[in-house]
Amino acid sequence: MTAILTSRPVREASALARTTPGVLTALALLLVVVALLAGLFTSLSVLARGRAIDDLATRSGPLTAAAQEIYRSLSDADATATGAFLTGGLEPVATRQRYEADVAQAGNALAIAIAARDPADVTAQDSPLGTLARQLPVYTGLVETARADNRQGLPLGAAYQREASNLMRTQLLPAAQTLYRGEADQLAADQDSATAVPWAEILLALIVIALLVVAQGFLRRRTNRVFNAGLLVASAAAVVSLVWVLVATVSATNNTSDSRTNGSGQVDVLAQARIATLNARADETLTLVARGAGSAYQDDYVKVTGQLTGLLDRAGALATDPEVDRDVQAAKADAQTWAGAHAGIRAADDQGDYVTAVQRATDAGPAGAAGVFDRLDRDLQGAIDRTRDTFGAEVNDASRSLAGAMAAVTVLAVVVAAGSALGIWRRLRDYR
Amino acid sequence: MKRLLALALAALVLSGCAVSTTTSVPTVPAQVPTPGGAATAAAGAPPAAEQCPDLLASPRPLTPMPAPGQMPAGSTMAKIAQRGKLVVGVDQNTLNMGFRDPFSGQIQGFDIDMARAVAQALFGNPDAIQLRALTSDQRIPALQHGDVDMVVRTMTITCDRRQQVTFSSEYYEAQQRILVKKNSGISGPDQLAGKRVCATKGSTSLATLQALPQKPVTVSVADWTDCLVLLQQGQLDAVSTDDVILAGMAAQDRYTEVVGASLAAEPYGIALPKGDVEMARFVNGVLDRVRASGTWAASYQHWLFGLLPGPVPAPPAPQYQD
Repeated sequence: MTAILTSRPVREASALARTTPGVLTALALLLVVVALLAGLFTSLSVLARGRAIDDLATRSGPLTAAAQEIYRSLSDADATATGAFLTGGLEPVATRQRYEADVAQAGNALAIAIAARDPADVTAQDSPLGTLARQLPVYTGLVETARADNRQGLPLGAAYQREASNLMRTQLLPAAQTLYRGEADQLAADQDSATAVPWAEILLALIVIALLVVAQGFLRRRTNRVFNAGLLVASAAAVVSLVWVLVATVSATNNTSDSRTNGSGQVDVLAQARIATLNARADETLTLVARGAGSAYQDDYVKVTGQLTGLLDRAGALATDPEVDRDVQAAKADAQTWAGAHAGIRAADDQGDYVTAVQRATDAGPAGAAGVFDRLDRDLQGAIDRTRDTFGAEVNDASRSLAGAMAAVTVLAVVVAAGSALGIWRRLRDYR
Repeated sequence: MKRLLALALAALVLSGCAVSTTTSVPTVPAQVPTPGGAATAAAGAPPAAEQCPDLLASPRPLTPMPAPGQMPAGSTMAKIAQRGKLVVGVDQNTLNMGFRDPFSGQIQGFDIDMARAVAQALFGNPDAIQLRALTSDQRIPALQHGDVDMVVRTMTITCDRRQQVTFSSEYYEAQQRILVKKNSGISGPDQLAGKRVCATKGSTSLATLQALPQKPVTVSVADWTDCLVLLQQGQLDAVSTDDVILAGMAAQDRYTEVVGASLAAEPYGIALPKGDVEMARFVNGVLDRVRASGTWAASYQHWLFGLLPGPVPAPPAPQYQD
């Protein structure tokens, strides 16, 4: 060790380091390296933040919407197909069209959800996307068989419909639920990484500024010159870079937080409320289809409508847009009207008046169960669309806030490095 | 740390050092759908076939029978009359015993005719009735909980069940047989060894199947039509239950046929809450009238003639306890 320390190159280097030109050279090198590294790190981290925000706009945001759409359309398709067995005779044209639209929409949203993933995500064991892709065609096949048998007047049709419903309730809908939770969690994670405080970037910028201050103090003591143009330019660039990063990040963070409180946070609650509405309607229908053997469905109805009330209260408390609030209030009122209509259905069915019960359940008038359900679903759809628009707008603003920050940070880092090197180089020349 | 890693990764990607992996397309087996609650069981130990004397003996009919709307005070009939509806547990899936007609949405069939005859005797109105669809294994619990006044649902009178419910006199005698696809090559119970055979949960057919020496693999489901669905989907080799139920299935699928000799006689009775002798006397009185008045034959003619081979038979003769 001592041999190395006393060896000639080291001795010469340490001797040089004690001289003013030696210290200046070291300072210049240090400043250039630190400024460039800090610039690289900061621009990469701005890039990563921008990516997270882009993901919100192009991946997790739309995919959460797609997953919710898959659940909604599947659940509605099953309620519609089963409901066609409530009334005797040929299914109404509108019922069939609704079912077809639901299946088309489910397939469409599923394609979007799958396209955004890697093949490995679909082939993985118990992958919800895999289950949905494999079982949806099986489901529609069963429904069509049920329909063909029903058209020939065979009770067998109802058995195929029950098998289809069982597939929907035990496999497809749970998979859609898992998919939705996964996408919603991913969205929250993207929001978290877009709103992280840039401590490392701030610290690096402060180190660069501190080094510049030290260099200027040293130069003033050794050379008796108060100002050094190069170092001044470098200092100004470093400060501008720090401020730029701070302003851009804080603004992007605010927009992203707003995208959660005014957008996705509310969408999540509203989407759950809509799913509860769909489940309750399916339960109402299935109770009647089961004809007395449906107490399990009625129990589920009570549970689900309890959840719906809680979710609507939460959505009302979260609402920040007056129009969304109006939709939620309308939904609450409709949920109450529906509860009244449902009580009427149950009363008729429990008294053995099945025909009246079915009439009440399929009544599409303003106070009828079918009519109120459709209105409630529309209220929630409207609120979801509005909050989703808000989410998109906030994410766009966040993305815009960061625009140019990466280029600016990179250029400013080069300016800091060049300014420091040039400024010190001038003084070094005095020692020739 | 995660962010540092992400940054490092981003740097790697920028520098063009990405590693590419290949994705293989795995072969996925098809998953067949099943009706809710379907279960497969290997042949178990045969349940002790209980024998009891006078299995079919039921309380003797009321004489004279009370006129509609004039039920003896305090009787079950009076309570039902006061409610205004007779609540009956039935089947909505079995052509032509109790099934929902897809065209009209109404539940109808031979069993339903029997139930309506009781409503007619109680109220003078066969429509004063509430039909509740039950699966085979819901029949006895529904009676015990008082959810229904009676069960008319292809229910075989057995010693076991007689300990839980009271049966009316026999109103129909079925035979347990086997339904197979026409090209299956199965012509009787002898060929059922190792085959998958379907019956509903809680049915006597299931117990008879499990006691067969050929030890078939039994598949149990909630409703009889679920068996036909499974048979059509190729998940079964055979369905075994009462000939009248099987005939209803064969009528819905002409590629199937009923084969083999009778595995067991299945006498059907109307089930009532345990110990309600007065109600049983009343129902037996109604059934006596149904047999004597030609209603039984008319009902058979309407629902079962042509479905089952042979002419309209005579109704089974009732047996009484005293």
